Amino acid sequence: MSEHDTNEAAEAVQYDPSSSRYDVFECPDCDNVVLALGRDDPPMSCHGDPMQRVTDCDIAVKPPDVRQVLLDAFGLPKAGLDICLCVIGEGPLSANEVAESLGYDRSTVTRYLNKLVDIGLLRRSELNREEGGVVNVYHSVDLERMRRETLIGFYIWAGEAAALIEEANVTKQDYMAENPDQELPEVFWESFPDD
Amino acid sequence: MSVTRRDVLEELDRQSDASAGEPTSVESLTDALVVDERTVRKHIDGLESCELADLDTDGQVRITVTGEELLALDLDEMIVVDPEGG
Repeated sequence: MSEHDTNEAAEAVQYDPSSSRYDVFECPDCDNVVLALGRDDPPMSCHGDPMQRVTDCDIAVKPPDVRQVLLDAFGLPKAGLDICLCVIGEGPLSANEVAESLGYDRSTVTRYLNKLVDIGLLRRSELNREEGGVVNVYHSVDLERMRRETLIGFYIWAGEAAALIEEANVTKQDYMAENPDQELPEVFWESFPDD
Repeated sequence: MSVTRRDVLEELDRQSDASAGEPTSVESLTDALVVDERTVRKHIDGLESCELADLDTDGQVRITVTGEELLALDLDEMIVVDPEGG
C-alpha cells in the first residue's frame, strides 16, 4: 500500500449510528433514504410506517473539509469566510481595513461581500452620506435565519449530489444489461458531460 | 475595561448630533467610556474611515448622518462599510 493510499485510508470515516450527530434512515419497502439532523421524535416515516435507522453501511467516506463544503455547495471560497471571521466582533470596519487585515485587494473584498449577499449570508443596505450619494453597508442576516438558510441550502446541494449518484447507478445498471460483454467506463462518463 | 468600536459610535451618538452639526470632545468620550484616550482615538480613526464619524481640525468629533443611520438599523453583528462601493 502506498503512502497516499495509507493517508486516504486513515482519513476515511464510516457512518456511526451511535454518534447522534446525524441519523440516516431507510425505508424497508422502497429505496427511500433520508438524512436527519436533530431529534428522531417522532421517527421518520415512509408509506405511513416508521423508517429504520441504517446500521449496516460498510462504505467509508472522506470526511468533509468545511472550506471545501462552502466552496462546493455555495461557491464561497475561503476568502469569503475569512471576511466573515475577520469582522465578527470587530465591526464596523471599512472595506479597506478588512482588505489590509487579510492581505486582499479592496476590490476583492467588495466582490466577496457581494457574493455573500448573493448567497444569502449577508445583507446589503444603503446609507445616505452627508456629501450626497450612498454608502454600502454589509451586515449579517438574523443568525437563526442564517442557520436555516445554510442548512437547507446544503441539503439542496446534497440532494442534487444524491440524484447524480442515483443517475450514475441507473446508468451503470442499464449499460451492463444492454452491453454485458463491453467495457463500462467510456459510455458511462459520456452520459455525464464535463460541462 | 475594553470598548468596541461600536461602543464608541453609540457614545458618540449620545454626545453629538449630525443634523445640528453638534460635536463633542475626545476627552468627553474618554470619560464616559472610562477608557484611555489612545483607544478612543484609534476607534474614532476607524469610524472616520467608515464615514461614520467626522473629526474636525479643532479635534472636535461628531457622528455623521451615515453613522446615525447605521445605528438606526439596530444590527447585531458583522458590519463592513464600503464608502467607495456606493
